[in-house]
Order: sequence, then structure tokens, then C-alpha cells
Amino acid sequence: METLGLTINGEAVEVLIDPATTLQQFLHDNLGMTGTKEGCGAGLCGCCTVMVDGMAVKSCLVLALQVRGKSVQTIEGLAPEEILDPVQQAFIENGAIQCGYCSAGMIMSSKAYLQENPHPSESQVRHALSGNLCRCTGYHKIVKAVLSAGEK
Amino acid sequence: MNSKKEYQYIGKSEYNVNATAKATGRAKYCSDMQLPGMLYAKVKRSPYPHARIVSIDISQAEQLPGVKAVIVGDENTCPARFGAGVADEYVLARNKVRYVGDAVAAVAAESEQIAQEAVDLIEVEYEELPAVFDGEEAFKRNPPAVLHEDLKRYQTLRSVPPQFDENRPNVFNYFRIRRNNAEDGFKAADFVFENRFETAMIHHVQMESHCGVAMVDDSGRLTVWGTSSKPYGMHRDISESRGLPSSAVRIIIPAHVGGGFGGREPKAEQIAASLALAQKGYPKRPVKMKFTREEHLSTTTTRAHYIVDIKTGVNKDGTIVANKMRLLLVGGAYAGTGYLTARNAAFGPAANYRIENFSLDAYGVYTNQRMAGAYRGFGNAESLWGMESQMDIIAETLNMDPLEFRLKNCIDEDDLNAFEEVMHSVGGKACLRAAAEAIEWGKKTEAAKPHLKRGKGIALGNKYSIAPTASAAIVKVHPDGLVELRTSTVDLGQGSSTIFCQMIAEEFKIPVSKVRVLNPDTDITPFDLGTASSRSTFNMGNAIRKACLDAKHQLFELAAKELEANKDDLETADSKVFVKGSPDRNLEIKDLFIPMVIGGYTLKEGAEIIGKATYYLPGVIPDPETGASEKPASFYMFVAQAAEVEVDTQTGKIRIVKIATANDCGKAINPMQVEGQQEGGVLSMGIGSTLMEEVITDNGVMLNPQLADYKIPTTLDCPDLANYKSAIIETAHRDGPWGAKGIGEGTMVCSAPAIANAIYDAIGIRFHDIPITPEKVLKALKEKNS
Repeated sequence: METLGLTINGEAVEVLIDPATTLQQFLHDNLGMTGTKEGCGAGLCGCCTVMVDGMAVKSCLVLALQVRGKSVQTIEGLAPEEILDPVQQAFIENGAIQCGYCSAGMIMSSKAYLQENPHPSESQVRHALSGNLCRCTGYHKIVKAVLSAGEK
Repeated sequence: MNSKKEYQYIGKSEYNVNATAKATGRAKYCSDMQLPGMLYAKVKRSPYPHARIVSIDISQAEQLPGVKAVIVGDENTCPARFGAGVADEYVLARNKVRYVGDAVAAVAAESEQIAQEAVDLIEVEYEELPAVFDGEEAFKRNPPAVLHEDLKRYQTLRSVPPQFDENRPNVFNYFRIRRNNAEDGFKAADFVFENRFETAMIHHVQMESHCGVAMVDDSGRLTVWGTSSKPYGMHRDISESRGLPSSAVRIIIPAHVGGGFGGREPKAEQIAASLALAQKGYPKRPVKMKFTREEHLSTTTTRAHYIVDIKTGVNKDGTIVANKMRLLLVGGAYAGTGYLTARNAAFGPAANYRIENFSLDAYGVYTNQRMAGAYRGFGNAESLWGMESQMDIIAETLNMDPLEFRLKNCIDEDDLNAFEEVMHSVGGKACLRAAAEAIEWGKKTEAAKPHLKRGKGIALGNKYSIAPTASAAIVKVHPDGLVELRTSTVDLGQGSSTIFCQMIAEEFKIPVSKVRVLNPDTDITPFDLGTASSRSTFNMGNAIRKACLDAKHQLFELAAKELEANKDDLETADSKVFVKGSPDRNLEIKDLFIPMVIGGYTLKEGAEIIGKATYYLPGVIPDPETGASEKPASFYMFVAQAAEVEVDTQTGKIRIVKIATANDCGKAINPMQVEGQQEGGVLSMGIGSTLMEEVITDNGVMLNPQLADYKIPTTLDCPDLANYKSAIIETAHRDGPWGAKGIGEGTMVCSAPAIANAIYDAIGIRFHDIPITPEKVLKALKEKNS
């Protein structure tokens, strides 16, 4: 067991964990933050995307201990109260959510990208989200949602 | 039903009622479940495609600290076989294994790691048997391997019975249609065309893998949570395979499931249930079985490799006079839903065109691979891949425009299909015209460079929905006016909960936010055949409407006394009941309930306001010899798709320049959700199955069981927003709720031929099998040019 100190959604956290625990497992299993989904455990689907110091990271590819001292933001931290983030709102209004299993990761990737490039082109959005898989939507309304969030 | 009428909630793009929970990460899926004291399961799987199990030694596994249960396929754990239509499968293999990945043992332990270690300690001795993978070999009268020696003695489903073939031991279903005489038709025809088309084995790739959690409670009763799309099918499988009375099992499906598309056989749930029951003594701890992505991709249901032989006779004027097909579903080691897919793949070709003489033989055949069965379209994307490629070959020979040729033969209202059923609610022609217009059919566009070749293609499709069928709904009016729906339809992302809320909102004239849907739970929510066959809007929708009428009837009876009015003169809106024409004579629903001392509310009689109803559609089982039936299906959804592609003749890469779909769904209850179905069907699964996806195997071993190697479309594989077009065609169905039919499966049944026909138009090469990968394109170009 190792001690791990970090910030999650703005809150300081200190825990003892098994060093083999991935960040995804730590968030999902240990902390019960089940918004960070496991889709493949191999960095190939993007369902587990979170932000580490503002950058989109696939949390299944990172050991929890690797984010020691860093600031992690999860989907739960995007709307701690009832007021939704504009990206979340855009996903809802555009019908970009079907089964929803990819949604949290998709929204976190979108959020990270929009922070970097607030008014992207369609092609830029498609490139930014190309590491997040979705099987339900054909990405059509997802791309629309991110573009509309970018316009706001 | 007049679909032109304005409704308050029907036909409106209400936001998905689950979207906020999903967008905020609050939505809980089965995969997210954790129960106190929960154990984790892992499965020991066969490394051989076909082998006799000589012995299994679990002694070391049992002794590993942290292991709580180890099970094998014996009389105790697996007393009986189960299956959708042919009971050919045990939860764990008994006596022999039939595919690489067949489950032979399972372990429940304190952690996944311990469970995996224990699995590795299980020693299984096998005696290898000859295996068969090739569909035609397996189909033979004397195949190299027979998978189920006792097939003829297995239990089969009475309501839609499979037919075996006396001479072919691996055939698990044989269905045929004989309308008039195809051979006479060919003799009279001016031209006869004969071709073979094939589709590769592909996977659904739902984003949430299969998962089950099972628990035995203090009374010994078994509760199983899962990701199945058919709670009552899962209920039957789990109770029957253990010989448990049905009341001893409870199935719960969480409100959110991460995608379905047909592939949700409750395999993980079965393992979890067995391990929950198998623990010695008490307490029996809950067990979770979540398949890894690799297990999910390599052992769960696929869309089958299909072989489609088609022979078509036409006259010079373009009339199709005869059509004959053989459809071969190259199935897996167990029939599963494939038993019905094998039969129902016939429906698409049977109902696309007016064809006087029609003959069809459809087979499902066992091979030593994992189960192949239901996949969005249920065999019809495969059979129509053949038919709609054939139609373009014919049109070219006749020198007819492919669109005109289809319009000339397209089936219409009151026409007879190959079952000799009178067609109703047919939007085929309207779909064809809309799809063609969306890509500017007939107008040539030029690529930027000479090595890039452009072409356009079109295809027509239809998708029936299953009969016999039934859905039941319960609607409860709460004292605060909220209306609750109890339904066993699973919202796998398609948005059923949202449209059900809209339906109830319309019936009670209350906002969608005052309706809620309970998640499927066989203790609470009544029977439904399953979330399959695009049947929920139509069947559950009808049940909901009837249940609402029943609830309103009770509500009005209670209110009539208070309002001193005739119950037939009452109406409800905004959680009030009022006299029609005199809205001042009203009461609030809550006023019918009496607040009681200590708490709660009561009615003076009747306990609660609960409306309930079943929508039962018996259909007519097709004649076993001729397929004739007045009502083989509930309804037919029509679709046409058109594509413009650009083929890079240097790399073989195909780019979708434009793609369009037009779908006849009867009535769009929620247009935005219909669009969502169209987009997913065309852009993800349509393009993926046509250009990219294939389960590659070697001696039964899947070689690409990771998402890095089994590629599905990403944002970059789909055309830009401006280059995708969709149209909703509303051809009302007389039996549909508000005229509605369905949408989900109709969205990809003709994507492959539309794209392939465009490829032919671009480079003059006819591909007979999908996926059409860059390698295949380059090879074909080389052959053409040499």
C-alpha cells in the first residue's frame, strides 16, 4: 500500500492504495465515482477520459500514483450542483447522448479541447475526438454539440 | 389514425429523459454495481474449437485463499439446456466444448485477480475432435464434424418452432418460401442473373461489455441484475437452465444499459447466477461477472458470416418475374437467437419488390465458432446485401437507371409479398425518391485528382417486426399527479423511456417531467417479449395507450362521484380532472386521495389507480412448406439509402463523399431520436460493416479481439455534417400508436449495397463480399487492369 495525495474536483484527497491501481479503478472502484467508465482497459475507447491538470487523459492508462500531487477533474466535477457545464448542456440539447456509456469520456475530451481551442472548426473537433469511440450516434450529434458549445 | 393532427407531446423532439443523468456521470450501469461482500467471477474457457472434456481438476483452484466457489458443467450446476428456440446449450459445457472460448468452469473470489489466478490453476484434459468452420462444409450431408449429435432430441420452442433438415445434421433451422413457380418464371424471363454474395462475421461492439450481478437472498431466492435486452428471456434462460420454478428468480435490468444492437445474450449473467447459487453454506455472497473487452469481442454473439445465393429473372421492360435465393447463416456452436435470424433473413427479400414467382431456402448451420445471431437488422442487412447488389447488376444489363428500376418493382400498398400477405403502410417509393434527391442523383461530380474516382449508388430495404408478439404495461397515477410506467422494455440508449414518457404525457396532458419510467424488474414490471426487432414503439406503445385508458377510466370513475358528473363526460389535463365543456367543474387528482393520520394517502376504494393492459399480436406462423401467411410480421419499416463515394485508386481507400438515408417509421414520436437512430445505423454500423469491420479467425481463434485491431468507425471515418442527410418518411400504420411503427433496425439494412453500388459506379468493380477494405479494392483494381 502506498500513500497518495492529489486533488479531485477541487477537493484534496489522501488515501492508501495498492500501487497497481489504475486511475480509472481508483476513481470508479475505490471512490465510487462511477462516471469514469471502464470501456476497454487499454486506452482504445476513451470512455474513461478525465482531465489531469486540464489535459484530457485516458485514466485506464495511468496508475493512480502517477497523478500524485496533480489536479484531477472527472465528469462529476463538471457540474457539482444542478447547473450544467455548457458542454453537457449542448450534448443534451443536441440529442448527442444515446446509451451514454461513452458520454462522460466524450464530454471530458470535448471540454479539454474547448479550453484549448474555444472556437474550433468541424475538422478540428473531429480530430480532437477521434480517440473516443461511440457506437450509437455515428458522432453526428456529438460533433454538432461540441460545435454549438464552442460557439457560446 | 390521422398523422397530420397536432399533438402536444407526440412528434416533438423532447430531450432524452436520461440525458442529464448520463451527461453528468450520475447514471449507474450494471458495470458500476457494487454490493456489500461482493465476489468477482472469472471464466475458464476452452482453447480448442471442438474437443471432448476428459477431466477437469479444480482441486488447486478451490484451495487458493480467497476463492469462494468453483463450478464446472455438471448435473448440479447445469441440470438443463436452454436456448432461444433450440435448447442446445448449458451454462458451462458438459462432455464436450464446441468453440474456442466455450466456458468450461468458473470461479468466484474476493477479487478479480484471485479469481483469475484460480482459473489458471484449473486443469482440463481434452481430447480434440475434428472441427468445422466453413459454412458449406458444415452444411453438407456428411460434414467433417457434427456439433450436436442429439439435436433432433433437443427441446424446441413451440410458438415459433425451428425446422431441422433430415439430411443435414448441422442445420438448426430450415425455412422456405414457395410462391407460384420460380423455375417457370425463369423459363419465361428475358434475362436470368445468378450471383453469390457474402458478408463477414462482425461484432456489435457495445460500449458497455456484458455484465451480470447475482445474489441469493435470505429466503434462498435468486436475484440477477444484468445487461440483457430481454428481461423475460433472461428470466426463462436462468430459471430453466437450473430447473428452478419461475417464481424463484427475479431479474432486474438497471435503467441504463450501454448499447445493445441485438447482441445481449445474458452470458455473464448466467455465470454470475451459477456462482451465487453454488457457494456452500450461508451467507451466500453476491457475485459480479463483467466480461473483459477481449472476452466480449471474442466470445459473445456476432452477426454471422452469411452466404447469399440469388437467381433473378427479369423481362426486357424491367419487370422482375422470378427470384430464387438460398440464404446460409454460418452460425456458431449454439443456435441462440441465430435460430430465428436464419429464418427471418428471408423477410427483407420477401417484401422489397412485387415478385410473382418466389422461392427461398434459408438455413442456419452450426460451426465450431461462438454463437452468431441477432444483430441490428436480424439477417436482413445480409440478405438484402445480396438482393440489392443483384438489382444494380440487372439494371445495368437492362440499361435502366437503378433508381427507376427499383421504383418500377418496389412493393406498394395492397401488393402481395412473397408470403402472399397484403402489404400495408409501405413507404418504399417515397424513401427511394427522398434518398436519391438528397445526394443529387443523376448528377455527376468530379474528384479533385485523376486517381480519385467518384460514383453514386442507391439501395432499397425493409425490416419487418416480429410476430407473434406481446407487450404489457402498467401505469400508476400517484397522489401528486405523477404518472409512473412499469415496463420491461430496456432503454439501451435507443430512447424508449423518453418516447414512453411522451406517450403518457399525451394521454394525460401533463408535461414529460411528470412521468417516470421504472427500470425492468420481473417482480414489478410486466411481461414484454424483449427490446428487439424495433418492436417497442409499436407494441409497448400500444400497451401503454391501452393501460392509460384503463387508468383514466378508474380515475374518472372516482372523480365522477366527487364532481357529480357522468364519468364519460370527464377529461384530464395538468393533473386535474374536469367536465368536458365545463372546465370550471374540476378537481385535482390529489383531492381524490385522503391524507391519513400518521402519514400517507388512501383511496376510499380500489387501493391505487393502476391501469394495465397487454398488446398481443398473434400473427400467423408461415406454412412450413410454402411460407404462406396472412400475417407473418407486425409491420414493415421501409428505407432507402444513397451514397456518393470517392475511391483512391492508388491506396484503395474509399471515402464517403455523401450519404443519405430516408426511413419510413410510420410516425416519428420523437424526431430527434429517430434521427439519432438513423445516424448510428448509417454512420457507425452501416459504414463500419461495409468498409471496415471483420472478426478474423484462425482455427476458431479470434485474431483481433481488441479495439485496436477490430476497428469501428471514429469521428474521422464519418462524413462531415453537411455531407450526411436524413429524411423521415411517415407512412402511418393503422395499428400503430399514433400511426408509429419502429426505426432502429431499418437504419442499416441497405447501407452496404448503397455504398457498394456507388463503388461500382466509380470504378466498375462489383464486390461480392463485405467489408470492402482498401486491400480488396487494390487487389481488384490490379486484376481489372491486368
